[in-house]
Amino acid sequence: MPVKGIKTVTAARNGVGAFILQCKRLDFHYCNYGGSSRGMLAFLTQTLPNFARENPQIEIRVSPRHSKHPIIKGHYINGREKSICVRNLEPSDILSKAMILKDASGEKLKQQKKPVASLNESVRGIWSPYHGDLRGV
Amino acid sequence: MATSMAASKRPFLTLPFLLPSWSDSITLGSRRYQSSYRRTKQRLRVKPDASFGSSNQGHDQIIYNPPSSAPSVYHTPSKFLPSNDVRRSMRTEDTATVNATSEINELPNVYRSDPERKYHLTPADVEEIRKLRLSDPMTWSRHKLAKRFECSPLFIALVCEASPEKKQIQRQVLEAVQSQWGPKRRMAREDRKLRREAWGRDE
Amino acid sequence: MKRVQLQRWSSTVLSPRARTVSRLHQHLYGAGSRCQSTASPLQVDSNAQSNLGDASFEDVELMKHVRSAHKRKGNLKYPSPPVDAAINSAKLAALHARLYLPSRLPPQTLARALVDASADPNADFNNESLATLGHDLLTYYTTEHLLCTYPRLPLTVIFAAMYAYAGPKTLAAMAREWGVEHASLPGGEVDPGLLQFRRVEPGTDIDATPNARTPRPYAAQKAWRMTVTSKIFYDDEFGDAFKGPATSGEGVTAELASATFVRAVMGAIYLHAGRPAAKRFFEQHFLSRHLNISELFNFSQPARDLARLCARENFEPPVARIISETGRKSRHPVFVVGIFSGQDKLGEGAGASLIEARERAALSALKGWYLYSPLNVRVPSSMEEEGAASWKPVYVDLGEVIV
Repeated sequence: MPVKGIKTVTAARNGVGAFILQCKRLDFHYCNYGGSSRGMLAFLTQTLPNFARENPQIEIRVSPRHSKHPIIKGHYINGREKSICVRNLEPSDILSKAMILKDASGEKLKQQKKPVASLNESVRGIWSPYHGDLRGV
Repeated sequence: MATSMAASKRPFLTLPFLLPSWSDSITLGSRRYQSSYRRTKQRLRVKPDASFGSSNQGHDQIIYNPPSSAPSVYHTPSKFLPSNDVRRSMRTEDTATVNATSEINELPNVYRSDPERKYHLTPADVEEIRKLRLSDPMTWSRHKLAKRFECSPLFIALVCEASPEKKQIQRQVLEAVQSQWGPKRRMAREDRKLRREAWGRDE
Repeated sequence: MKRVQLQRWSSTVLSPRARTVSRLHQHLYGAGSRCQSTASPLQVDSNAQSNLGDASFEDVELMKHVRSAHKRKGNLKYPSPPVDAAINSAKLAALHARLYLPSRLPPQTLARALVDASADPNADFNNESLATLGHDLLTYYTTEHLLCTYPRLPLTVIFAAMYAYAGPKTLAAMAREWGVEHASLPGGEVDPGLLQFRRVEPGTDIDATPNARTPRPYAAQKAWRMTVTSKIFYDDEFGDAFKGPATSGEGVTAELASATFVRAVMGAIYLHAGRPAAKRFFEQHFLSRHLNISELFNFSQPARDLARLCARENFEPPVARIISETGRKSRHPVFVVGIFSGQDKLGEGAGASLIEARERAALSALKGWYLYSPLNVRVPSSMEEEGAASWKPVYVDLGEVIV
């Protein structure tokens, strides 16, 4: 057999074709009695229905957590989760926290040193000392 | 040869940090330390190559400045393009300038001399090769036969095969030799084999 | 092509459900009369439900909870979630929205695509038929893309590229990237947004199952040579032997179940939203993935192949020439060798020895030949679009080099 094939798997490029939102579930926990949950209760009744309508790709769960501060917990496709405590916050602030969780990729935050990260080869190739501006042998 | 390769388009004097250190040492007392980031960058800001300059020809032109990198395999050589492909006609002038005929013929061959193909063996010769190899396989090895009939050992292998006894003996000899190898040599041989397999995958 | 049939097709996916639900009920209840004295959950359940109907509780809220709890318990008798559960599943709706599935694709069909044949052997409730259709579509679209874009690829590389685009490993990775979760055990009470399949028993050797389905004659003769051409006839689209069908009661691996789900989604889109939507889905989710085809080649003797190729195409025989070199007498020499045919350079490569550089150069020349891609590639299925320009025949190559 002159040439054989090497079996590999294609690599995902989220957003090149379709974009899959990485946040798959948001859990809203509140307490019915605690004072720190007052803003959260207002958020759940007023803002959350609209938020859920705008983001149908996120599964939303609301559940009470007795005598604890209210939190929002995001579950991501890569299996990680992130949670933000929203005690004593106003509904508008809670919405911004929910947006942070919605937009996150689920990865740990790290410094991006290169402006572009790409799987594609550079148009000009990898520099090699044996090519380009050569004189004859 | 190496010096001729290193000669670049850019004149040396525009890049003073490339000069040897003695030129610095003369003025060391009178000058500030040079290696701040900004200064280095400033010195790297050289004039662009002449090919990028504005042309006086008055018409649009394409600047051909090939990258210093190995050519991409996705760039099909012009010879491999089918006859009805548009790219074939677009590249004709390009190849005329780049691949000058004389230059390619001047390049040295990988092998010192091309093996001369004589095609001088007759069926009778082939019969004799087979007979010799069968009659006394220990004397008439591939290389000896090749020397006698002035052909390549590969041709001998194409024409006839060694007898099973000879193969068995040869295998035993090889095993005896390999049993003398220590771990280092054995590992080196295995690595060489793996490296050779990696060529085929272009790694 | 008639587009009228679409609605009818899509209705066939859903309607047998309703019919078979009643059939299933009859079957189960009919059997139930025999085991009346035993503590069958089915019988207890129906009794409890009838009792509930008679009893009158004052607290309406409480009654609602009790009813739903009983209903969930009633679902236990089904091997997979009932049809009406799909509408109330938040997970399923989120998955539907996450994949931007067309609104014509109802959540019930998506729920059906999530039920593997190992979870529910009833062909009217599992995703086997959808997956068969989806698999055919996927392989068709992938094949036509590969053959039209790279008409000279050798068959083994086409197999490898097919596997990379539409193989089970890739599909399983895609299902993971879509955020599909697996149910621990399939059952009627499970959320329909979870992928349901029966897992393989731990410790089972997956490759040990006898290959009963392959049409290849003398398949038991392992030592016999298998030609590449015979793989077209006897093997699947990835050049592997057909796997035996999963018998009922046997589990499947998570990879295989995920792959079946992705195929079933493709089939479901085709049935409900039509061919353009299926094509768009394929382009957005499958073709947009990254694959460097030049890394799929594994040559054994590139220099010999190139010589054969040049002889076949009536080019001058290839000659290897040194373009540049450094450190010939040192410990780390580097040679850059170019392969020339007449006055044209076919390829070049660098290596630590002249032989290596020559092999690499021949390899790059061969890749240059095989990876030829015509300009303005069109695939046959583009003719199905509205107002498509007239078809021009695509470039067809002689085939790979045979040594």
